[in-house]
Amino acid sequence: MRRLPVYFLLDTSGSMNGEPIQALNNALSGMINTLRSDAQAVETLWISIITFDRVVNELIPLTELPMFQLPEIVCPQSGPTSTGKALELLYEKVNKDIRKGTPTQKGDWRPLLFIFTDGKPSDLQLYAEMLPKIKSMNFGAIVGCAAGSSADNSKLKELTDTVVHLDTADSSTLKQFFRWVSDTIEQGNKSMGTTDNVAMPPPPSEVHLVI
Amino acid sequence: MVDIKMYINSLFNAKNILIPTTKQNLLDEFVRSVDCQEAVNSIIENQNFIMEKWKIKNRVADIISHQIVIPNGTIGKHYEAKIDFNKLNFTDLLFETFEGLEELGLSFNKVNSAIEGTPTQSGDFKIKLIFKIKGESESTSPNEKLISLIINPDPKSLWKDIPSDTNDLFWKKDDVTEAASLGDRHIVVASKRGRSHENVGSFRDDDFAYKYFEKTGWSVVAVSDGAGSYSLSRIGSQLACNAVLDYFENHHDVEQNKEFESKLIAFNESKDEMLLKEIEIASKQNLYKATLHVHNKIKEHAEITSKEHPELFNNPKAKTLLDYYHSTLIFALFKKYEFGYVLQTFGVGDCPIAIMNKDQSQTTLLNWLDVGEFGGGTRFITQPNIFHSKEHPMASRFNFQIVTDFSYLFLMTDGIYDPKFVVEANLEKNGKWIEFMEDLQGNNEDNLKVDFDYSNTEISNQLSNWMDFWSQGNHDDRTLAIVY
Repeated sequence: MRRLPVYFLLDTSGSMNGEPIQALNNALSGMINTLRSDAQAVETLWISIITFDRVVNELIPLTELPMFQLPEIVCPQSGPTSTGKALELLYEKVNKDIRKGTPTQKGDWRPLLFIFTDGKPSDLQLYAEMLPKIKSMNFGAIVGCAAGSSADNSKLKELTDTVVHLDTADSSTLKQFFRWVSDTIEQGNKSMGTTDNVAMPPPPSEVHLVI
Repeated sequence: MVDIKMYINSLFNAKNILIPTTKQNLLDEFVRSVDCQEAVNSIIENQNFIMEKWKIKNRVADIISHQIVIPNGTIGKHYEAKIDFNKLNFTDLLFETFEGLEELGLSFNKVNSAIEGTPTQSGDFKIKLIFKIKGESESTSPNEKLISLIINPDPKSLWKDIPSDTNDLFWKKDDVTEAASLGDRHIVVASKRGRSHENVGSFRDDDFAYKYFEKTGWSVVAVSDGAGSYSLSRIGSQLACNAVLDYFENHHDVEQNKEFESKLIAFNESKDEMLLKEIEIASKQNLYKATLHVHNKIKEHAEITSKEHPELFNNPKAKTLLDYYHSTLIFALFKKYEFGYVLQTFGVGDCPIAIMNKDQSQTTLLNWLDVGEFGGGTRFITQPNIFHSKEHPMASRFNFQIVTDFSYLFLMTDGIYDPKFVVEANLEKNGKWIEFMEDLQGNNEDNLKVDFDYSNTEISNQLSNWMDFWSQGNHDDRTLAIVY
C-alpha cells in the first residue's frame, strides 16, 4: 500500500501566544476530524507535526491517520522563530521516513509539506542554506502559509511558489485555510508524470494566494 | 501517644507566650489536666484528619490530571487497550467502573485490566474512569477521570458510489466486462471504475480493446491507464487502445507481414540467429509504427477538441495539448503457427504483460515498468520524449518471443498489479503468478471463482465480481485481460 506522507511545520514562537495558538489548535483538530471521514485519507494518509520556536520539536513523528492523536500545541510567551532549524530537522526526518520505490519496495506518494508561520525566520543563514536542500527532496507540493500582518511572505516565496497569506490568525480564517489544506491533501495520491506537482484546488476567499 | 507538654510548649511558642521558670510547675499541672489532654488529642486528631483529607484530594487531582493515552479504535475491528494501574503508579486506586464504554460496544475486562470489544460507533469520545483511592470513606462520592478515545469509522463505509455524469461530452461507461474468442484462444477482460473515482463521481480512466484480424491472422490485446491527474485521460486511454487496433486493422502492411512470416518459418527450420535478429528488428519497426500511430491519433483528437472545446483545456500545469490525454499503454500481438505462438509486445507506463507457459512452471514478464521513486510517477504514450529518450530507449520497450504454447497471457493495469503483486520484483516470480491464479480460481476472502473452461459462459461476470476484491489503500481503476 502506498502512503501519502504529509508534514506540518508549525510556528509556535512567542507571537503565536494567546488567541492565535488557540485558533491553530482548533483548526488543526477540525482538519484531522474532516480527514478521518475521508475514505482515501483514512487508508493512505500519514501525518507528522514539527513545531518551531526557540527550539524545534518533532511533536508527532510520521503516524498513520487512524492511529493519529493530536496533542495540544503550546507556545512560549516570547522567543525567536527557528524556521531554518525546523527545515533542517524536516530534511533529516523526510530522508529517514520516506520509502522510495524499488523493485522490492512500494514507494510512497510524493510527500506534501505545509509550513505555517506568523513571523519571519530568526536564523536567516541556516534558512538560506536549507532552501536548496528542501527543494531537492521532490515534494509533491510545498505550501507556505503566512498568517497575520507581521508574517513575511517573501521568505516563504524563496521556498515555494505556493504561498498563501491570511490577514489574521483567527479561528474562522484558520479553519478555512485548513479545510483547503485537507482538499489539497486529497489531491495528493493521483498518478501523474514523474516530475509534475500536485494540483492545488482553488483557495477559499479568506486565503490570498501570493503571486 | 502525643507528648502533651511538648505540644503545648510549641503552641505557646508559636503564639509568643513565654513561660518563666517560676511558672513551670503551674504549666505541668495545666498539662496534666484532663481537659487539656482531651483538647490536645482532639486537635491532633483534627489535624490528622485535615492532612489525610488533603493528601487524598491532592492524590485524586494528580490521578485526574495524569494523561492516559489509549490507542484509537476502528468500527468493526477488535479493540483492546490495556490499562495497567500499576504501571501508571496508580497502586492506591480503587477501581469502580468505566462509564461510556457500553454505548460504544466496549467493556472493561477486570481480569486483563483492559478495555475490550468491537467498537460500534465512530467519533471523538471521552470515557469516564470512576474510582476512589485508598483511604477515602465509603460515604464520599467517587471520582471521575476522563480518558479520550477516538474511534475511526470503518474505512469500507466511507466510500461513496456516485455515478459518473452520463451527460458529459466524453462520458464513458463505469464498468465494462467482456468475454470472446480471440484467434484460436479465448479472452476474458474486465475494466472497472476504481473506488477513488466512485467516491467523487469521476470517470474510469482505464481502458482496453482486443481484436482478431482475419486478414493477417494476428490477434491483439491493448490495455491503457489514463493519468488520474489529467482531465481527458479517460479519452486518452480509449483512443490509445482503439488506435492500436486501427493500426493493425488498417495500416499493417500485408506484404510486409507476408515477408515477416516467411522469415519466421525459415527461422523455425534453420534456427539461424542472424535471421532471428532480422525478425526482431522487423518486429520492432512495425510495432514502432503502431505506437507512433497511437501517439498521432491522440494528438489529432487533442487538436480538434481544443478548437471545438477550448474551455476543456484550462490546466495551467499542462504544457502541451497532449498532456490532457496522458495515458500509459501496453499491448500484445500474438499468432499461432505450427511451431508455436509468436508474441510481440510493447509497454510504456506501469502496467505489466506476462505469459505463463503451458505446464505453469514458468511465467515471463514481457515488459519493464516505468515506476518512479515515488508513487504515481510514470511515463505515457502521450509524451513525445519517450520516442527518443536516451535513458530509456524506445527499442527496449518492445519484446519478441516465440513460445511453443502458453496457458495464460495477462495484461493488467496497476489497479490489479498494486494490490496483487505489490512490487515489481514479484512480477518475475512464478510462485506469485501461481498464487494469483489460485486467487482467481477461488482462493480468496469472498470465495469468488473464475472458471477458465471454454464452455463457461459466465466467465465475464465471474471476473467482474472477482475484481471487486477489497484491498486497503488500493482503489484505483482495475483492468485485467486474460487470454486463455
